[in-house]
Amino acid sequence: MSILTYIAGWPLLAALALIVVPRNYRVIIRAIAVLATLISAVLAIKLFCQFVPGAAGYQFEQQIPWVQSLGISYHVGVDGINVGLILMGAIVAFAAALCSFEIQTREKEFYILLLVMTGGILGAFASLDLFFFYFLHELALVPTFIMIGVWGRGEKKNYATFQITLYLSVGALIALIGLIALHLQSGANTFDIPKLIEHVKTHPFSQGAQHLIFPLLLFGFGILVSLWPFHTWAPLGYGVAPSPTAMLHAGVLKKFGLYGLIRIALPMLPEAAQCWAQVLAWLCIGNILYVGWVAMRQKDLNLLIGNSSVAHMGFIFLGIASLNLIGISGAVIIMIAHGFLAALTFALSGYIYQQTGTLQMCELGGLCRKLPFIGTALLMAAMAGCGLPGFANFVGEATVFFGAWTVFPAVTVIALWGALVIGGVYMTRAIRNVLHGPLVEKWNSLTDAGHLWRKLPYALLLASLLVFGFWPRLLTEKINPDVEKIVAQIPPAFCVSSSGRESAQNPFAASQSRLAPAATK
Amino acid sequence: MKNEILPWLILFLPLFSAAAITLFTLRRKTVSSLISISAVVTGFVLTCLFLSANTFHPTVTETTVNWLTIGNLSIDFGLKLDALSLMMMLIVTGVGGAIHIYSYGYMHDDRSMARFFACMSLFTFSMLGIVLANNFVMMFIFWELVGVSSYLLIGFWFEKPSAGDAAKKAFITNRLGDFGFLLGILMVWSLLGSLNFGALNSIVTANSAALGCGATLAGLLIFCGAMGKSAQFPLHVWLPDAMEGPTPVSALIHAATMVAAGVYMLCRTFFLFEHSPEALHVIAYIGGFTALLAALMAIQQNDIKRIIAYSTLSQLGYMVMAVGLSGPTTAMFHLTTHAFFKALLFLSAGSVIIGMHHEQNIWQMGNLRKKMPLTFLTFFIGALALCGVPPFSGFYSKDAILALALEEKNYLLFGVALFVAALTTFYTFRLFFVVFFGQEKSKEASHAHESPLVITLPLVALAVLSVVGGFIGVTNFYGSQFGAKHASLTVMEQFTHPFHDVFPMACGIGAVVVGLFLAFKFYKNAATDPLPAKLGALARWMANRFYFDELYEATVIRFHDLLAQSSDWFDRWIIEGACIGLIRGGTDLSGRALRLVQTGNLQTYAFLFVFGVALLLYFVLVK
Repeated sequence: MSILTYIAGWPLLAALALIVVPRNYRVIIRAIAVLATLISAVLAIKLFCQFVPGAAGYQFEQQIPWVQSLGISYHVGVDGINVGLILMGAIVAFAAALCSFEIQTREKEFYILLLVMTGGILGAFASLDLFFFYFLHELALVPTFIMIGVWGRGEKKNYATFQITLYLSVGALIALIGLIALHLQSGANTFDIPKLIEHVKTHPFSQGAQHLIFPLLLFGFGILVSLWPFHTWAPLGYGVAPSPTAMLHAGVLKKFGLYGLIRIALPMLPEAAQCWAQVLAWLCIGNILYVGWVAMRQKDLNLLIGNSSVAHMGFIFLGIASLNLIGISGAVIIMIAHGFLAALTFALSGYIYQQTGTLQMCELGGLCRKLPFIGTALLMAAMAGCGLPGFANFVGEATVFFGAWTVFPAVTVIALWGALVIGGVYMTRAIRNVLHGPLVEKWNSLTDAGHLWRKLPYALLLASLLVFGFWPRLLTEKINPDVEKIVAQIPPAFCVSSSGRESAQNPFAASQSRLAPAATK
Repeated sequence: MKNEILPWLILFLPLFSAAAITLFTLRRKTVSSLISISAVVTGFVLTCLFLSANTFHPTVTETTVNWLTIGNLSIDFGLKLDALSLMMMLIVTGVGGAIHIYSYGYMHDDRSMARFFACMSLFTFSMLGIVLANNFVMMFIFWELVGVSSYLLIGFWFEKPSAGDAAKKAFITNRLGDFGFLLGILMVWSLLGSLNFGALNSIVTANSAALGCGATLAGLLIFCGAMGKSAQFPLHVWLPDAMEGPTPVSALIHAATMVAAGVYMLCRTFFLFEHSPEALHVIAYIGGFTALLAALMAIQQNDIKRIIAYSTLSQLGYMVMAVGLSGPTTAMFHLTTHAFFKALLFLSAGSVIIGMHHEQNIWQMGNLRKKMPLTFLTFFIGALALCGVPPFSGFYSKDAILALALEEKNYLLFGVALFVAALTTFYTFRLFFVVFFGQEKSKEASHAHESPLVITLPLVALAVLSVVGGFIGVTNFYGSQFGAKHASLTVMEQFTHPFHDVFPMACGIGAVVVGLFLAFKFYKNAATDPLPAKLGALARWMANRFYFDELYEATVIRFHDLLAQSSDWFDRWIIEGACIGLIRGGTDLSGRALRLVQTGNLQTYAFLFVFGVALLLYFVLVK
């Protein structure tokens, strides 16, 4: 059995076990959940350390045929692209389980859903089979809706649940149509991703099919990742979600769409990717600049963090759109870094909410005096969020800028403005309003995160950010060889090079895609 | 190269100290301060050891570790050791060490003293990183880190709203400069294919047209970084507000080292500017303008620290101007002497502030020379050095700048520099007379007392350097880096060097005399400021810093807020409303439409059934 099966399996097994534990054994329920995620995290660290950078094919592979007539099998394995994601996912899940002490009602159900979510998403990242890839993601997605609906907070809870369910279901549905089309059009009669990629190398998709399927995947996965202008579900959804859910979803689950683009869409549909890169690059300005402005305006800390998380997705999209080794590697680094960061910020805001009962920034103020540990951690998270070197986010963002600069200089300039200036403005404003300034009288009774157990999740996430920020080679030497394989399949830019560096070719790309359905008939 | 581990040790000791304090000793004030002080003092000693083994020109000038390699993007973590960086290391650890020791006395009663020293250590680490960086990305990384340590220290007393605001302002203004800096780095990288200073230097030397028409733009973008960090016009607004931080911070970060980082960076990358006279011109004029503007503002300030802050701005303008006049040696010379005498002035001001129980308005002081004789003496030395009175250090470096402007035949900037020199003397001695002479103007002033030894000792050390800094060989070391016109000079030759070129020296001394005379005339025994009555509106504009803050508030900030507001509105009502509305409305509408079909009326169902059968029959039989 592959170590990957254990990493995803322990949380799912624990979820099953929790069903038979009586609901008033609260300590045991919590212990089981924490222990299962801890085992996952330890195994994931072991996996990350044992991973051999640049080895051929996938490592820690395991394949069990399931439906042979359709070519579906249980197939897991890692390469440089998902090994970091699994590590990040497992650590975030452990931190989320630790942070779940804030849940006071229906704990048993909450922990079951949390474990299902964890197992599902880790399995989805490990899957090398299209069917399980999608199925396990859905398995993780559905608990999100329930958790926000039942344990969410605030008046807008119902509307937010409604919106996030609607958006993500539609997004997943569009992506599903794309994946089915991919399966049917390939003619390989298999759901196995490596086999499909091999097959595509010798029998590439027709231009028409590519231009039909790629936008489905791009926008389907894009909605799941809050690509502008399909982003409004994210800030509100995270704003009302209980913090463990927000941590897992914003940190880990959201990366599924990006992972899908890199793992499936780019290598299988390279020509279409080349054309749509232009569109994607300009859409990500919406994420970076526009959502950055929206974030500047927020009065609620959680909405601000949510918007900034949407803005960060823009950098990842920009890295993917640049379609070169540097850009895509940078995108993978940000995916991992942002996972830690989003989890950290939502965990911290959750702590503050639990203590104060509000996240309205005008009501807070001077909290650094009463909450030195949480305050320092929030300060560091805010600094990581506006791209301070020393944290992993800087490495990723800088790499993306270097990659994108040669392809989209204009977009890169705007993205830089968004990263350095707008990010700096809303993060320092938040610090000024929440942590600095005179302490408001009524917060005199707040207590800081006390013993080690309470501090552990925050310290763990901060440490992860710092480790990869100081020593990015841990990631890059694993990521590079496998991104290189993907980039090698993308043909020399015909859309991009012919269009030069202007957006004038945008209509060209769009019109070609509109012609595409006709071409397939 | 001997002892090549030493520079790494010097760089990382302060980081270890910051980490150790943050993790373990936040509750122990004395232990924390000792850790931090010993880290920087050990750094100084090790730098001296390294220099004694290797001199200012080590055989191996770079030691690197690969930090990150992706395709053709390769970023090293490397240290560059040459006369420029080694001199700066001496300044950062030496002056920094004196200020650390001083801080022990100054911050002794603050409950967050451990946090203070952790931030100071973080700053020392970052500043050493800038100094030692051997490539652009490394420099940018530490550039940002000094930015954040400055942010943390300005906002050290974060409970004061003004401190929080000042920290925010400093951070964001610096970020504006960094935006240009990073763009410049990207541009240099894409044009020349390297980030390493040494490699870039040889590319540009081999082919002076390598940057092509991008040379000016790239140069100016990189200069943007210096504009932010060294607070040049139009990004100068943050530095005076930064005085909200504790006084040792103002001395270390906002006078001696960090604000000089911009000038240092320009000198480090001077090879890029050499081939772009246009960029150098812009730099020179921005420097000159900043020097003038800040000196004018300084005349009408009343806060002791703010006056010195404006003087820092003005002196930084001198340095930037010197770089723009193709004189990196001169710029670094002035940077070095300025580090000595400005740190001295700030620390003396800090001593005054302690003596005055944290009163900073100079019109509340007066006659302090009797109460605080040692502080009076050190402040006097600092003031003389700042004004450029021979033979104090400032005289030599300022004279070098004046001579440089003449040599470059830039008479406008020569005139500006001369005028600023007169203004400098005027506002410095205005401050000096009001604070140390005349009558006690408040109760605090009559009860002032001299500061303890831990505070006065660093003052004495810095005072000695401010006196002799001009002729102990600083120019020789920098000159050897940038290709000096003449061989190394002995101390005596340096002492008399300005006399080789009498005209600029005479002009400089003349300007000092004029300034001194005017200050003496107006402020010898003044109880209130006579200038507002004489200058009228001009004085008001000076006191209000020519309304730059208000201007930015009304334009840049308001504009961005407006954008934010409209984006938020659009997001809330158009995008969210439209998407949700469409999906919900669509589902709703189709539901309503389909409901009409289900009437529950048997006749209707029967009719539809027959209709359907007829339709089917038509397709099957007729078609």
